Amino acid sequence: MKVKIISRSTDDFTRERSQDLQKVFRNYDPNLRSQEKGVEYTRALNAAKLEKIFARPFVGAMDGHIDAVSCMTKNPNHLKGIFSGSMDGDIRLWDLANRRTVCQFPGHQGAVRGLTVSTDGQTLVSCGTDCTVRLWNVPDYRNKSSSDSAGNAVVPIAVYVWKHAFWGVDHQWGGNLFATVGAQVDIWDHNRSEPVNTFKWGNDTVMAVRFNPGEPDLFATSSSDRSIILFDLRMSSPARKLIMKTRCNSLSWNPMEPMNFTAANEDTNCYSYDARKLDEAKCVHGDHVSAVMDVDYSPTGREFVTGSYDRTVRIFNYNGDHSKEIYHTKRMQRVFCVKYSCDGTYVISGSDDTNLRLWKAKASEQLGVLLPRERRKQEYLDAVKDRYKHLPEVKRIVRHRHLPKPIYKAATLRRTMIEAERRKDQRRRAHSAPGSMPVKPFRKRRIIKEEE
Amino acid sequence: MAEKKQKTPKRERMKAYAPSKTLKFTKSMTNKKSKKAAKDGRRRKSGPHLPSSFLREFGLQKPIPSSSDKGEVEEEIEDLYEYEEALPEEETKKNRRFDPVENYEYELPDDFEDENVPSDDDEHEPSDEDDGVADGEGDVADASEKHVRMLQSITGLPAEAFKDKEKKDVTLSGVQGDFGGGQISINDLLDPLHGKAGYSKLRKRLHQLEKTPMAVQAPLPKVERDKLERKVTYEQSKKEMTKWEPLVKRNREAPTLYLGEDIDLGVHTVGTIAAEHTPRTEFERKMAALIGDPVVMEAHSKDGARLLELNKVSIEDVRDRQNHLAKMRSLLFRHEMKAKHIKNIKSKTYHRILKKERQKRASTEIDMDPEVAKELAIKQEFKRAEERMTLKHKNSSKWAKRILKRGFKAQDDGTRTAIAEQLQQHALLTRKINSMNENSSSDETSDDDSNELSPGSDSEGVFKLLNKAKDKTIKVMEEEDEMPKTGVFALPFMERSLKKQREAAHEEACLALQEYESSLGKLEGDEAGPSSPGKRSGRRVFVGAKSRTMTFSTEEPENHDDNDSEGEVEVREEENEHKVENGLSEVQIRSALVPDDADRGQEAIFKDFDDIVKNAGSKTTYEVAIFASDTWKKMGGKNPADNIKEKSAVADNLVLSSQNSVGQDDNNDSDSDLEMVDGFLSSHPKSDDYKLPSQDELIHRAFAGDDVVMEFEKEKMDVLNEENPEPEKPVLLPGWGQWTHIQQKRGIPSIITEEHEKAKRKREEALKKRKDAHLKNVIISEKIDKKAEKLHAKNLPFPYTSKEAYEQSIRMPIGPDYNPAISIRALNRPAVIKRAGVIINPIKYEDIDPYGKSEDSKEPKHKRQKKPNAKKTQFAGRKVSKKS
Repeated sequence: MKVKIISRSTDDFTRERSQDLQKVFRNYDPNLRSQEKGVEYTRALNAAKLEKIFARPFVGAMDGHIDAVSCMTKNPNHLKGIFSGSMDGDIRLWDLANRRTVCQFPGHQGAVRGLTVSTDGQTLVSCGTDCTVRLWNVPDYRNKSSSDSAGNAVVPIAVYVWKHAFWGVDHQWGGNLFATVGAQVDIWDHNRSEPVNTFKWGNDTVMAVRFNPGEPDLFATSSSDRSIILFDLRMSSPARKLIMKTRCNSLSWNPMEPMNFTAANEDTNCYSYDARKLDEAKCVHGDHVSAVMDVDYSPTGREFVTGSYDRTVRIFNYNGDHSKEIYHTKRMQRVFCVKYSCDGTYVISGSDDTNLRLWKAKASEQLGVLLPRERRKQEYLDAVKDRYKHLPEVKRIVRHRHLPKPIYKAATLRRTMIEAERRKDQRRRAHSAPGSMPVKPFRKRRIIKEEE
Repeated sequence: MAEKKQKTPKRERMKAYAPSKTLKFTKSMTNKKSKKAAKDGRRRKSGPHLPSSFLREFGLQKPIPSSSDKGEVEEEIEDLYEYEEALPEEETKKNRRFDPVENYEYELPDDFEDENVPSDDDEHEPSDEDDGVADGEGDVADASEKHVRMLQSITGLPAEAFKDKEKKDVTLSGVQGDFGGGQISINDLLDPLHGKAGYSKLRKRLHQLEKTPMAVQAPLPKVERDKLERKVTYEQSKKEMTKWEPLVKRNREAPTLYLGEDIDLGVHTVGTIAAEHTPRTEFERKMAALIGDPVVMEAHSKDGARLLELNKVSIEDVRDRQNHLAKMRSLLFRHEMKAKHIKNIKSKTYHRILKKERQKRASTEIDMDPEVAKELAIKQEFKRAEERMTLKHKNSSKWAKRILKRGFKAQDDGTRTAIAEQLQQHALLTRKINSMNENSSSDETSDDDSNELSPGSDSEGVFKLLNKAKDKTIKVMEEEDEMPKTGVFALPFMERSLKKQREAAHEEACLALQEYESSLGKLEGDEAGPSSPGKRSGRRVFVGAKSRTMTFSTEEPENHDDNDSEGEVEVREEENEHKVENGLSEVQIRSALVPDDADRGQEAIFKDFDDIVKNAGSKTTYEVAIFASDTWKKMGGKNPADNIKEKSAVADNLVLSSQNSVGQDDNNDSDSDLEMVDGFLSSHPKSDDYKLPSQDELIHRAFAGDDVVMEFEKEKMDVLNEENPEPEKPVLLPGWGQWTHIQQKRGIPSIITEEHEKAKRKREEALKKRKDAHLKNVIISEKIDKKAEKLHAKNLPFPYTSKEAYEQSIRMPIGPDYNPAISIRALNRPAVIKRAGVIINPIKYEDIDPYGKSEDSKEPKHKRQKKPNAKKTQFAGRKVSKKS
């Protein structure tokens, strides 16, 4: 006779140490749990709701400037350090952790328009409308207390006076060169008082310059004649010019994809280009309702942040048509510069209201140390949310953002305008001979030509 | 200036002769450099020999120059010319002759032709030269004149003598210049090579070149050249960028990107922390001085043998320590012995005294510190006062109220004890008050309280209540007897009316009293009753009768002047109650009662019997129900109501009821009879002749009542109508025109009818389009389920190409409830993993095989990730082996 009994081996059920978790035995037979899809859907929905509840992106504001913040740069070698320059010629080094000024760099007579730090984080380069380029030693404030260093003035290592006012500066990644732009593009060496190279293509002012972090010899500029120009230092010549219908205020290279860059355009959109195929944008990122003033890529290369004249900061996916996040506060005015922190966790914005603002890059992320179980849980919720993001309820909740009224109105107005334009175009097309009006895709529409 | 003039044409010639020379160095020349070079050149010229103009000036200042000197100068110029030729060309060139180039190392591709190369020299040289020549000549002429004048003034000779020489010199120099540059041909250059290897080849090529016309194309305009240059640059940088493609592709396609993994954060160990430690306090400093003592350090550094040497202690120290220890030990021993001794003492009084002493000491300690004692007392008093004020612990809290409301008994033990505890605390805190109040409080209230507080059994409580009520009514009745003898109430009519009132009240009181009595009696019976039904009934009858007789005996004198109906009713009530209990007992009651109630006459008895007949059916059933449910006490409660009803019923129809009941019985009988007959009839034909019915017939017969097909069709029609509702028929609209019958005359407006037609047509089309239009026996609902809609994506999400693929992608659950712990991590891993606070550097180039498997390329990262896991598995493996 066979007798069935429940038997348990004691080995399976005894812990080796008292700290060990009790083992949980589960039967993973899918037939036992037929509702798993429903359960996970509900979890996704709840996770989406919770994400909305916990979305508190604003970390803090840093005040101290007495004029609008015109430019910022992050210290590539030190996570906490960020430099900001203002329209009154003040340059400050901030400690992000304490949200306090560490030290100031006085000297500029006019507005500071460009700031950059060498890759080793030792040298700060600033330039401005007073036609000077100044090189500063970055103080090692890690050992100093912030109070005593804030008082003493820092003296520049070098001041180079040049022929024209400067609009921007950027440092080569890992190299010894930096480029300033203004009436022309100048390449400088740290140790030379005059530019080692000068480029001029077209007569208009160059507004922004950005070196490619992946390919240190490559850089791009955008000028007020609505063009984006690529340069190659190896050939010491410009490479290609792209003329769009409106000006680009700033641009940023993707640090993880050296061929791609994104330009912040006046026409409220950002355009991502492959530098090898400039005849069409790879992606048009729209959502802002006013000119985009600055753009900066996350070091992960998966998203970038934009600051706009419409008083908002938005975060886009590198391939997303629409923003995935919008940050705004009542007091934040026109945003002139934005930066992603070097670890991709924070976003810093500098605006007309003389403040720098620190935001979380993921609005609902929990800061601080997470227990492994907490982290796993969060990962699971994120995964589930990602899985069911296409279902209408989840989608609606995840996409919902509260907008300030003026922006909401401007967006609706913009939408109607675009719609009207589209309708008009459609009618024109209907009334013209077939083939006489070729359809131009949206990604090409704003490009006038590519100049060799 | 003169030598410059000579130099330039020659260089050009050289260039023309050697066209295949690469542009290497000309290209790699910066703007700045060229400027500098130009400056240097000028400076150098002024070093060994000054330009002629300067010389002239020198000459004017210094009256030395002679013919020999001049000759020397000329010679030097010649030498310098050679020297300059040997200089790198770029150094001698003027500014802006060559394009600014930053990078020296760069080499142009081989196929780059020289003809196309823009050279500023070609364009601008001629004019420059011309100018230079003119200037130079002018300068020379000027200078020579001055010189002549100077010589004249010094020597006093006529100017012509000097002038000739000067001219000669000039021509000579010109000849020399020509000799140095213009006349040299490529053949001259080749001559020294005569007889060496490859000479013939070179000559052949030279001949060929000479034969073909040497037409050099005109250089392209600068704009074009720039464009070409940019094009090349762009192509080059494109190529550079393309090399990143596989890397970028890999990163994009990777399910998870690990960032900032390669950075070593430098985990703190105890060693590193200790090394960073700096002593701050005095003690720490002392310790550090001791520890950091070089002698000790040295001792530690070796095998530690030296430590032993350092550890030497003097004999005196050791002896002292031993002595000290011995003393302590003896003291301890003595103490122990003493304690033992005390413990051994058996006298209780001694111990009591001891204990008292100890307590006294403790109390004196409190007493000694009067403030502490006072505080304690104040605290205690405050607590008491608070308790008196708030009655916090007397079930006044929300929680306690709620519990009491729900019933104390319904709570679990824990709550009950908690409540009890609270009450006890209250008692403790208010004890003093109670002890003080006890004298003043009346006995009654305390009694009442005790009665109320002690719940006892329900019946007991009821019993007491009834008793009390009875007492009170009796009291009232006694009081009422005393009438007021004076005042308005003394008037005769008032007296009469009062008496009437009193009588009415008395009657009522009596009634109430009787009721109390009866219920009391019943209660007693109930309490006594639970043994066996037969016995119980008998005993109750006895008790009931006894009690009733007793009451009647007391009341009889008063009752006699009133009519007897009440009493009768009372009796009947009693009887009815007993009837309820049991039919048998009823009879007994009757037999027992009849002799007692003889004076009441036959009527009452008859009435009773009627009652019995009338109530029989219902009562019995009721009884059964009661017995079944076994609820005794409920019945007692219900009885009075029953009785009242019965009273009225009895008063109204005595005979009618009995008749009715009889009639009912008859009816019932007849019914049952009919049924019987029916059953018999139906069974009859079956046995007669039986034929097996066909299947159709059976089905037909089975569904004889319901027309399924019709029903289905109707249902389908309903569904159709619901999903595509029929348009409403246009009717005359109330409103304009209705009053004057214009609408009726004209009929319904055409628009409305047209619309109706359209809607009809639309509906028909919609019906035709339905999936179940041609399926006769099927209803396919086309209604959209809104609840289910929520669970479907509206359109196919982007990366998926088919519905199946998408559904497949979300088919398997990823949660920890459905997957083993090993696979959860992989299932839920986010797209980008980065560590907080770690700076992520931009991408670095690494060679990867674009056609290789992505797995291989990712391997190093995964390895890093899996290291701890691997360790764990090893560890687990060991564990397993141990167990087995």
